[in-house]
Amino acid sequence: MAETGYVYLDELPLMESALLSTTPRSLVQIKFEPGPLIPERPLGAGEQYRFHFDMTKCIGCKCCVVACNEQNGNPAAINWRRVGEVEGGHYPNTQRHHLSMGCNHCLEPSCLIGCPVEAYTKDPITGVVLHSADTCIGCQYCVWNCSYGVPQYNAERGVVGKCDMCHNRLSDGDAPACVGACPEGAIAIEIVNIAEWRRDYLSADAPGLPSADDSISTTRITLPDNLIPDTGRVDTQRVGPEHPHWPLVFMLVLTQLSVGAFVVLWLLDMLGRGTGLTITALASLTLAGISLGASTLHLGRPIYAFRALKGLRRSWLSREVLTLSLFAGAASVFAGMLIFNLPGRSVAGFCTVLAGLAGVTSSARIYVVRARPAWFSAYTLVEFYSTALLLGPLFVQVLLVQILGETIPSWVGLAAVAGASAQLIAQMLKFLWLSRSEVFELRASSLLLSGSLQNLFLTRLAVLAIAGVLLPLIAARGWLIVVAFALVLAGEWLGRYLFFVSVVPKNIAAAFTSGERAAA
Amino acid sequence: MNWKRTLGLDNLSEEYSFARDESTGYTSAKKIPDHWVPTTCGYCSVGCGIEIGVKDGRAVTSRPFAAHPVNRGKLCPKGLSEHYTLESENRATYPLLRQNGKLMRIGWDEALSVMAERFRATQKAYGPEALGVLSTGQLVTEEFYTLGKLVQLGFGTNNYDGNTTLCMASAVSGYKVSFGSDGPPGAYEDMERADMVLLIGANLADNHPILCQYLEANRNKTLIVADPRVSKTAMMADIHLPLKPRSDLALLNGIAHILVRYNLIDREYVDGHTAGFAELERFLDRYTPERVAELTGLSEETIFKTAVLYGRAKAGFIGWTMGVNHSTLGTATVNAICNLALLTGHIGRAGASPFSITGQCNAMGTREAGFASSLPGYRKFESAQDRADLAAIWGIDESRIPIKRGLAYPDIVEAAVAKRIRALWIIATNPLVSYPNQDVLRNGLSNLDFLVVQDGYHPTPTTELADLVLPAAIWGEKEGTYTNSERRVSKVNQAVAPQGEARSDFDIFLALAEKLGCREELYSGWTTVEDAFNEWRRVSQGRLCDYSGISYALLAEHGAVQWPLTEGAAPQRTSRLYSDGQFQTPDGRAKLVCTDWAPFPEQPTGHYPFVLNTGRTVEHWHTRTKTREVPILERLSPRAWLEMNPRDAKRLGLRSHDSVDVVSRRGRVRAVELRLTEITAPGQVFMPFHFAETNVNEVTQDAFDPISREPNYKQCAVRVERSGANA
Repeated sequence: MAETGYVYLDELPLMESALLSTTPRSLVQIKFEPGPLIPERPLGAGEQYRFHFDMTKCIGCKCCVVACNEQNGNPAAINWRRVGEVEGGHYPNTQRHHLSMGCNHCLEPSCLIGCPVEAYTKDPITGVVLHSADTCIGCQYCVWNCSYGVPQYNAERGVVGKCDMCHNRLSDGDAPACVGACPEGAIAIEIVNIAEWRRDYLSADAPGLPSADDSISTTRITLPDNLIPDTGRVDTQRVGPEHPHWPLVFMLVLTQLSVGAFVVLWLLDMLGRGTGLTITALASLTLAGISLGASTLHLGRPIYAFRALKGLRRSWLSREVLTLSLFAGAASVFAGMLIFNLPGRSVAGFCTVLAGLAGVTSSARIYVVRARPAWFSAYTLVEFYSTALLLGPLFVQVLLVQILGETIPSWVGLAAVAGASAQLIAQMLKFLWLSRSEVFELRASSLLLSGSLQNLFLTRLAVLAIAGVLLPLIAARGWLIVVAFALVLAGEWLGRYLFFVSVVPKNIAAAFTSGERAAA
Repeated sequence: MNWKRTLGLDNLSEEYSFARDESTGYTSAKKIPDHWVPTTCGYCSVGCGIEIGVKDGRAVTSRPFAAHPVNRGKLCPKGLSEHYTLESENRATYPLLRQNGKLMRIGWDEALSVMAERFRATQKAYGPEALGVLSTGQLVTEEFYTLGKLVQLGFGTNNYDGNTTLCMASAVSGYKVSFGSDGPPGAYEDMERADMVLLIGANLADNHPILCQYLEANRNKTLIVADPRVSKTAMMADIHLPLKPRSDLALLNGIAHILVRYNLIDREYVDGHTAGFAELERFLDRYTPERVAELTGLSEETIFKTAVLYGRAKAGFIGWTMGVNHSTLGTATVNAICNLALLTGHIGRAGASPFSITGQCNAMGTREAGFASSLPGYRKFESAQDRADLAAIWGIDESRIPIKRGLAYPDIVEAAVAKRIRALWIIATNPLVSYPNQDVLRNGLSNLDFLVVQDGYHPTPTTELADLVLPAAIWGEKEGTYTNSERRVSKVNQAVAPQGEARSDFDIFLALAEKLGCREELYSGWTTVEDAFNEWRRVSQGRLCDYSGISYALLAEHGAVQWPLTEGAAPQRTSRLYSDGQFQTPDGRAKLVCTDWAPFPEQPTGHYPFVLNTGRTVEHWHTRTKTREVPILERLSPRAWLEMNPRDAKRLGLRSHDSVDVVSRRGRVRAVELRLTEITAPGQVFMPFHFAETNVNEVTQDAFDPISREPNYKQCAVRVERSGANA
């Protein structure tokens, strides 16, 4: 009885109770007995719970997905458990298998490491990676960090949510919803020795799954003995653009502009080219302030933005918030000192520049995550710095020369040209890298840029060449330089938009036809 | 705008909170009901025990019965989300009458008066047979019994059939020819107890996933799956037989040939319980392994292996579904399956059964009680004795019972085209998605003087054409019984009130009888479905499908029980038919039938080079009127697709996700998403049939089995072209 989780009619003891007057006696709802599908002993030291998925048993019925949504009261568009398809071989020796995955409750959870507000905890006893919807501010950084697409953003709530292994059911002795719903017994909870698993986690890998190296997934997968080597995802030709995250597009470009501008201002001030710097500094500061404020619109819960400082120990997002706040603070001091023409400005300016450069670095490091391969490279840093180098000097030049009628040294314009050139070369090299890669996600990114995003991508490159390189070289003043600045600013916004939409995240295999996109 | 939510002060934590239900345990608080209503799932014929959770008068969740003998604590994704089918904008909630070309809301009394008057007027003008009725497998048995009497005795037309003819009619005809009566002999448990299971044209993993647990629990079996496509079920098999489309009959004859030639038969059983062995033996001569290998595309070795495994099995089980039934040779193929069981004696024992796995939740109920393709209680129109029996039970003149079956479903459609059927009543079915070759159907329906569609949903492609729409209560809103594929009768209960003014089909039938003036005669003293059930028990008494021992009280005590159960008998856990080797034929012997293979009617040509196969996906039910209302199922399977082998696609210059048209001699399905896959053989394509938006039945062939009248949905010749290429 315990083995199969059901009882036969004639094996059920007859009971007398009010409940039974409406429910057929023999069909009385008894508690599901999960038997060997959940652990029968308590966890010992150095152990944690994990999922076991038996690919040889799964028939792809998706009961687990529906049961999970019902269990957690989630809307249809959010699926903490998903079923993907993989296929290999040639007819009639075809193999099709399914992959049912919830959270992998990793040993090194990248969601937890990235979270700026410490909404994630790895339960010290069960090892379950837990997420607190009350702590979460909806920054979605965990969504970018997870290689399996596990955390999913619920826009209705403004927070992320994820599979928690139904740990509350487990502690009651009940099976998690997916385990209980599976007609084939393909999903189970078992106990894993953490140290042993860390040494050898080969059975966490499966066709259709990103490498377990990223975060040491604990899910053990039983694969068919005769698995055909070319077995793989069936959803790889359905790649679409990712979410653009407009507030971040806006914020990143403007903070980088502001950092670049303050570097130029600090240098000009040290060189004694003082006139007009105050207004330019105030303008740059204003842009930084507006963009930092606007960036909170990206959050599901903007009012709790301040919590983002909490995760400084681990999260680049926390560090970005800190460094850019310090930058804004130092820049205010520097601007104030400019207004009152106070001595010692070079130190304040130096601090501003240091904080600014740290800010740009932190911004870039946020995106250098394994789960998003096209971001996971030095190109991300180069792109962000190039934006600062291009927009900062050009902004200063336009304001000082065109609006205030000052003269400035020619290196300012040349710096912008250098920034544009760096950006142009980096973008072209990055595209070559993507298009020649054998990594699916990288190739797919290049296919987006040369496919549905082609016109935007080419426009971006043309703007860099013409308005970033050519125009500043032929005109240091006049309306042409204003036009050049307007164009490159728009071009950088476009570039950052492309940065967000053209990344193809790692994820588990999806079904061929489903409403589910490649990632959240 | 909720500013607290916009700022993030509110994260809807209340809506997403959790609590502990007494029996379900820790779960989403909004899914914890005030009370649970026990019932039976209303989708397919597996007959899963299910409970609907009701909170404040609304169905909020569904869960399986842990102790149910059928589903053993599991439900498929459709069952797990079945409560979502109840509340929807697309429910039919008021009677609608077409006035000046538009469907306008009217009252029930007017609706039923108009219906009775129009039907009577048509019958007066063109004869009683000018009224046709197309019913379903979705009602409760009590309603089928009531409807049968209303149509045949009240309206006096025998042109009455169900959508079950599109589904399992070949199984019925095959059983009748081989065993003398309809009635699946085995039980689900046989799948667990057989040592050899052959599934033929049956994709259980997509269509009956809950039955897969019986196979999973059976560790000692060899599972062989015959399917031209590498279906999910084929992947479960120890041996997959990737046979050519519709070569199943050749394969079965080839197996029989080997069984006979190598003496793998149970001679004692053949001599004691069958007739026709000598003829069959001679007939099978021509199905040599060499020829069968050529016809099926399988190796001789594979055919031998299959035959030997079945012949030597202690208990061999053959299960089939629509791959066999949806064929112009459906009845013959069922006979060939029964031949194998009879030759080897794999029938009437635990694990041994030729077993048709049916489609709809109560297809069995309409087969037994329905009064459409046969008289209630598996009685025959042609039998004077059977007619006299019934007339006596009902206290009516024998002459009122038709002496032959009226038109079958496709013949009703043909008769509408020929204007011999002038008025039609369609109940709980959606032919404008499900009927093969939609052109003919549209043509037929456009000829009608009056079309009534009674359905739980509106609009559907069919209700949109109606002159009168009657809104019906659906599963969860009414009471009765369903009978599943293994003859198990289970109670269906009302959990919530019907939407709007919708009424149960039972109520509608009685109210209509009232209008016709035959209520007192046909349904004397009836007020509840239990009254109908009790009369049906009397009608079935002594028949193969004996319900006389099954009462609502017994069902309340024991849950789901199998027929036959004679009055006073105690229900067994599992029962089988023909355990005594006595069949429902005059001499008590089952018939061995000589069934010759022939190619399917529309072979591919240069112009239409592909063989189109149709089928299902686990997320959807039939024409999707219900499952399109379930957001999670729509998310998992939002649209149709066409499977094609990459080798063919390369030739055509097509890629996955391309939008393609599927074209046959009869029509065109536009803008289907192409899926390149090695699941499907070169030269074949596959498409699911659930989607009205991309309806495969625009191109399927209206060719029918001569005996069962079931359509040949599974093979027709098509070409595939890029959408817009020739527009």
